[in-house]
Amino acid sequence: MPEAIEKTHLRFSQLHCSSDEQQLHYLFHELSELAAHEAEASPTPEVAEKFRVRWLGRQDSVLSRITANWLKEAPPEAKKWVGQQLNWLRPILEDLAANLKKLSEEAALDAAAARDQIDLSLPGVTRTLGTQHLVRQTYEELYRIFASIGFSIVEGPEIETAYYNFEALNIPEHHPARDNMDTFYIANAPGYLLRTHTSPMQARTMEKQQPPVRIVVPGKVYRRDNPDATHSFVFHQLEGLAVDTDITFCDFKGTIEYFAKEFFGPQTRVRLRPSYFPFTEPSAEFDASCHVCGGKGCRTCKHSGWIEMFGAGMVNPAVYGFVKYDAQRYSGFAFGLGVDRLAMLKYGIDDLQQFFRNDVRFLRQFR
Amino acid sequence: MKVLYNWLKEFADVSAPPAELRSRLSMAGVSVDSIDESAAGPVLDAEITINRPDLLGHVGIAREVAALYRLDLKRPQPKINESAEPAMQAARVEIESPELCARYTARIVRGVKVQPSPDWLRQRLEALGQSSINNVVDATNYVMLEVGQPLHAFDFDRLAEHRIVVRRARQGETMRTLDGIERKFSKDMCLICDARGAVAVGGVMGGAESEISFSTKNLLLESAWFDPISIRRTSKALGLRTEASLRFERGADIEMAAFASKRAAELIQQLAGGEVLGGVIDVYPQLHSPQKVELSRKELLRVMGADVPDREIEEILSALGFAPVRSDTNRGSADSLVAAWSCAIPSWRGDVTREIDLIEEVARLYGYDKFPPRLPPAKLPAKRLPHAREEERLRERLVALGYHEIVAIPLVAAERDAIFRPENASPAEIANPLSEDASLMRTSGAVSMAATIEWNLNHGQKNLRLFEIGKMYEVRGEKPVETRILSLGAAGLAREQSIHESSREFSFGDLKGSLDEIFALAGGANWRPASLQWLAPNRAARISLAAAGEGKPIGVCGQLARTVAQKFKFRQDVFLAELQLDPLLEAIAKASATLRYEPLPRFPAVERDFSLVLADGTSFASIEHAIRALSIPELRRIEAVDLFRGGQVPAGKHSLLLRVTFQSDVSTLTDAQLAEFSARIASALSEKLGASLRAS
Repeated sequence: MPEAIEKTHLRFSQLHCSSDEQQLHYLFHELSELAAHEAEASPTPEVAEKFRVRWLGRQDSVLSRITANWLKEAPPEAKKWVGQQLNWLRPILEDLAANLKKLSEEAALDAAAARDQIDLSLPGVTRTLGTQHLVRQTYEELYRIFASIGFSIVEGPEIETAYYNFEALNIPEHHPARDNMDTFYIANAPGYLLRTHTSPMQARTMEKQQPPVRIVVPGKVYRRDNPDATHSFVFHQLEGLAVDTDITFCDFKGTIEYFAKEFFGPQTRVRLRPSYFPFTEPSAEFDASCHVCGGKGCRTCKHSGWIEMFGAGMVNPAVYGFVKYDAQRYSGFAFGLGVDRLAMLKYGIDDLQQFFRNDVRFLRQFR
Repeated sequence: MKVLYNWLKEFADVSAPPAELRSRLSMAGVSVDSIDESAAGPVLDAEITINRPDLLGHVGIAREVAALYRLDLKRPQPKINESAEPAMQAARVEIESPELCARYTARIVRGVKVQPSPDWLRQRLEALGQSSINNVVDATNYVMLEVGQPLHAFDFDRLAEHRIVVRRARQGETMRTLDGIERKFSKDMCLICDARGAVAVGGVMGGAESEISFSTKNLLLESAWFDPISIRRTSKALGLRTEASLRFERGADIEMAAFASKRAAELIQQLAGGEVLGGVIDVYPQLHSPQKVELSRKELLRVMGADVPDREIEEILSALGFAPVRSDTNRGSADSLVAAWSCAIPSWRGDVTREIDLIEEVARLYGYDKFPPRLPPAKLPAKRLPHAREEERLRERLVALGYHEIVAIPLVAAERDAIFRPENASPAEIANPLSEDASLMRTSGAVSMAATIEWNLNHGQKNLRLFEIGKMYEVRGEKPVETRILSLGAAGLAREQSIHESSREFSFGDLKGSLDEIFALAGGANWRPASLQWLAPNRAARISLAAAGEGKPIGVCGQLARTVAQKFKFRQDVFLAELQLDPLLEAIAKASATLRYEPLPRFPAVERDFSLVLADGTSFASIEHAIRALSIPELRRIEAVDLFRGGQVPAGKHSLLLRVTFQSDVSTLTDAQLAEFSARIASALSEKLGASLRAS
């Protein structure tokens, strides 16, 4: 036991310092340093309690002994000094004890937490979230792209008349183009068929609205094709139409180039190959550089570096005749995107049927 | 159309190798899919668009090549030794139906020796996918592949009275065609006949009777022009598509008929010898009159948005046979903005009738790549679909509730559709379905939802929550009606077991909860019990919008009936819902338009629990009603917290733990107030519903 603490067991008179305030002062300082040193012990509840009892306890603690042995016994002239020193020491000890207690409690919590270690590799509590179908997501992406350059969205019926599906698009009966669009007819609604493309909304829109017209038309279309990896008798299109007094082939090129770069990335190159559709002239097949190989040639692009995207072109003036637009005054362009095909290309899906089976293992892949 | 590179070179002396030619042609509108090697040299497989019948022969393709490379086009120059005896005297030709056959030419060749063709000819035909027959038939096919004009050779001695009559078939008239099939004709078909009867289906296929054989000595060579629509109908009706019908139905070159005849006669003479009688019998009642079309730079600029120099315009149009001549008053000045050209439309370009057609010709040969891309300025704001925002919120909510969106094919089997069909709905039936499984348009979303659940269960996917936003289709009074619907489907576990939670089966409560969350967007729902054939009894409900009061239901939901589940071989509970989308979206729009801030309460809320014993059949709604009837302004919420049967609860009764929340806007509620509310509630429930209060 350190000498200073031993001294608390002595009576004041045995300290032999009744006239030496300085010596008493040293003694108290020594005690405070001893206490501070002791309080540095690693904080456990036991240590904290032992400290409290030893220094501040009601009975037989350092403080209680100082009070009983020194203060009470001190001659009247020394009482003042002892009292002052005691008042100085007490809060120091109390602070040390309180701090040690706090540290010991924190250490206890830490120790408990350490025992109850979280395994970060275990999964958390999750709610099952749903998904939007890839076709829907692709539509949303296309809407965003075309809305940013002023295209409004309109919708039309899937069960159409032959007039809007064919005639008003410059495809009269017995036109060979009808061979390429094998059509389902409705038995109990004469004159109606399942639209083979979203193009009927061209005439339906222009009949109701004067230029400027700038629309995209989403929806299901139907072809009487036997289903396989690239064919389905139902698929999804996005028709585009822009008509105004000043729309040219250059605007047409700029618009679909913008689309391709937005959809497949800024590095995408595009090209137009002359083609034929009854409702456009000049007509074009629109190709984009292969997004998989960047145009070097790979399996996706059948080693050509290019991927056939869709048909498009300037609106055939004959079409304006059906909607009573002045073909001398107005010009425009139209295109028909295959939405499922775009999604297949973008995500490397090799089977169109996956879109319609709705296997949740497929659906969940596109969160 | 397969094209022989070496044959092409006979007409346009192109030096570019096949691969380069392929890409140049493709970029000018003649898409070449592949190049193959053959005994006769490289073969280009060109995809000819239906507007260009003139490209269904090597000379036509060579014209495009000549225009692309600015080469001279060398057309064949047939030379034949004709005898003094005129063909006119040996045979007679009449056209009775000029509307079906506008021109018919015939040549007579006597004393031919029909034998197998020489190697060069066989190789060329075979490289192009044609089988070699004999030197005479091969000569006609060769000329067709060369200049695009189909020809037919008859055994002259088998033509009764050496007469050709072109007429409409009599209803039910029959003839055996070259392929050995007995064909039956109708009145709108064009037949080539001799004095006795039909010897060929005009423009489609010859008859077996007058076919060229190795014993044929004399022949009549037909080169004619048939009406495209009539050929198309005939070929479709007979199910007979031939190289000839393919060309005639797209529009052959009427001026080519006599030329091709001469070229074929030359070839036959070279290959089979014989004497070509003098001249050609040419019945051509209405001569083709060439059209003039003007092309102006102004219009070219208006459509294309960028210019093409004079020299390019003139060279392209000349090479394609349009013989452009400057027709504007400003003739001398090069690249003038008012420049215009008068163009003569060649007989092989029936597809060109308007200025826009000439613009396309110039543009595609000049090169689409030379026109700079540009984005047109938008003049109007881009509009979304009506209620697009509401639909988006609905989708977001469904996804948050754990439902995966599906996209189904609306064509379904009649038998399955009938299971879920709404009362009085009459489906749109497909007149020409591909299969029984897709014979009509669905009259519900549930039919697709059940099929999708079926697919997933059969593929080991057992925990399902699905939704679809689609349509149902009906026919009302011979007119189609399409209605937008939202369908939900669920099966399996609502919650899977994990280290944190136990598993739980999806129940009716889950479905109702999901629907209540959806209807919360629309101002709430009213639920009523329903009885539907495809839903289990006591597990089915009709839902209407709370805003509509007791109004018309907009949807149904419930657990799939056992009988239906058995048909689908479902071995677990399946839950379905179907709602009309448009009224729902409308209600969502209204609810969000009327949404206003509600100040937060300043005084604490207090909960009081009531443990009730109630007779079975007492609905929660009746409890709510009884409490609300007390008109306690501080009443905020009534919740059912726990429900159980059995144990100490007597049979025919159940115990319900009810939690009622009170809150005042003006003060903190006192114990005395709360005691009074509780007492009133307890006595009201006891009096009106016979509820007894258990000590809780």
